[in-house]
Amino acid sequence: MSLASILGRVRRGRKEAVAETIVYHDVETISRRRMTLLLATILGLISLPLVMIYLLLVLSSFADHMLSGPDIFTAKYSLENWRLLFEGRLEPAAAPLYTFWDLVKIIINTLVVAAGVAAVVVVASTLAGYAFSRMRFKWRRGLMEFLILLHAFPGVALLIAVYAIYVWSLQLVPKNVLTSYQFLFTILARASLEIPMSIWLMKGFFDKIPWEVEWSALVDGASRIKTWWKILLPQVKPGIAALSIFAFLAGWEDLIYVHVFLYVAGGIKTLATFIEETIGNIETAYLPIAAAAGTLYLLPTLLFFIFTQRLLLETMSGGVKG
Amino acid sequence: MADSERIKQILFFLSPALALVVVFYIIPLILAVYLGFTPLRDWNLKAYMGKFTTQSYEYLFYLVTHDPDVSKVVKTTIVFTSATLIVNVLGGLLLALAAFFMEESVSLTYRSLWLLPRLTPVAVYSLLWYYFFLGSGEGTLNSLLLRLGLIDHPIAWGTDPSLQPAGTWLILIVVNGFVGVSFGMIIFYSALKSIPREQIIAARIDGANTFQLIRRILLPQIRWHLVYVTIWQLLSLLTTFAHIFLLTEWGVVDRWWGTTWALYVFNEAFSAGEQGVAAAAATILVAIGAVLGLLSLRLLGFKKMMQEPRGEI
Repeated sequence: MSLASILGRVRRGRKEAVAETIVYHDVETISRRRMTLLLATILGLISLPLVMIYLLLVLSSFADHMLSGPDIFTAKYSLENWRLLFEGRLEPAAAPLYTFWDLVKIIINTLVVAAGVAAVVVVASTLAGYAFSRMRFKWRRGLMEFLILLHAFPGVALLIAVYAIYVWSLQLVPKNVLTSYQFLFTILARASLEIPMSIWLMKGFFDKIPWEVEWSALVDGASRIKTWWKILLPQVKPGIAALSIFAFLAGWEDLIYVHVFLYVAGGIKTLATFIEETIGNIETAYLPIAAAAGTLYLLPTLLFFIFTQRLLLETMSGGVKG
Repeated sequence: MADSERIKQILFFLSPALALVVVFYIIPLILAVYLGFTPLRDWNLKAYMGKFTTQSYEYLFYLVTHDPDVSKVVKTTIVFTSATLIVNVLGGLLLALAAFFMEESVSLTYRSLWLLPRLTPVAVYSLLWYYFFLGSGEGTLNSLLLRLGLIDHPIAWGTDPSLQPAGTWLILIVVNGFVGVSFGMIIFYSALKSIPREQIIAARIDGANTFQLIRRILLPQIRWHLVYVTIWQLLSLLTTFAHIFLLTEWGVVDRWWGTTWALYVFNEAFSAGEQGVAAAAATILVAIGAVLGLLSLRLLGFKKMMQEPRGEI
């Protein structure tokens, strides 16, 4: 246990017992309270624009005009923008550009890509992470190093060549499964970007699990695959959860891959390209409705962010370290 | 256990990941370099794939030296990359230090808050800043400055010709700065946390103030992390363009002053239809990536992270 948390306990315990007569001086940082207050104020001021731009977007999606600060107290709020967004009217006076079901389809497309990326990443990296953590083979170290190196290669160079492969492969695909193939290719291509770091992450989770149970299973003659499935996977559930969330958000937030492989190549829209198109078409776009579209797209990210804050933060530290 | 059985098992675990790596990294990397030596246009693979030529490189060299727009791209890449790099590394360091000296609950809130831009969908994040820097009176920045009486008419920050390139560069640096600081923050924070507490306590007892503590105890111990983050961020800034892509497409910033080398490569390939030139321009990035990637690999303390598996039977 760290000293800080021991001191924290002591402090709390004493407070309850003797009330505030005892002022505990933390020898490590002398006046941590005051320091926290000072730093929190300075950081708060620096973080203000960041909080503000998110807040203004979400509030504007309910307001009668785009908000810019002090007017959040005077604006009129309603669900009007959200109604217009789902009716397909990007301006209050305009005719519908798309139907309710078109928008639902766009949301489903985005979900398919995100869920697909999560599935591919989880399967590939729980398998490979186990091998790198538990098995001895010749190229083990070299391959792990190579994975980090892959992460350093420019996405844009890969993108051109991956698109060339895509163009070439399209002629082999029957017309009736073309849409499924386009989704599949987008998912696999986008998931691959996450693969190197995810393998490192899963290897880290496997490394933390003690060997004893596994040993007895292996000695009893269980196969590696069975041990992995029956004994190890249940123990790395938190790791799999964190990885799924990360990979899902990566697929959800992506713009470039869905723009190139789905939108340009196949005319298939997701929320990212929907917003891209809406703002690009600014003469007809009414900003509060665009704000509603943005808030809709931001929703899952915000929910995961609020409810799994600590998990995301810890995974991120584990992930980027590797 | 029989050797072939072992190999089968290892392949079972590795093949999905290896297949993805081969199809989406190794083949594309070789192909990208190869495409740079073909005159490929409009994705017409049948017509151009077999033809070897260095004309893309010659053309690229000509553009850089003679085309005023492409020379804007080069200047923007240099200024944007170096300025954002400084913002990201120093910003990340300051955030990590502040978080380190704060009580855990407050520190956690701030650390996760600064993670938000990284997790936000690119299109929404661009929309947020699109609206912030909007040239009309409706834009947040203009609206606030008008209200405070600091300006008397709205300013088109990214497009007014008299403000370029400074206006455009400023927008690019702000937008990418807010995303980039979290990387340094996370690395530095976990590095600071792993410094033995005894050292900090000893320095405090000896009467070191906070500034001395940072200068003499903390910074020397995370110096390799500083180098690592700098190299890694340099690499990302040179090669990522997602956040810049929509800002130029939507016309928030000047088209050429707002284009970095990576975005130029993307536009050449996917808008101009010049994939040969794009691949040649990308190959330069691949070379830089290879060098910087190997360099940061050496700095990672790689051996420490790779313990041998203990229970191999």
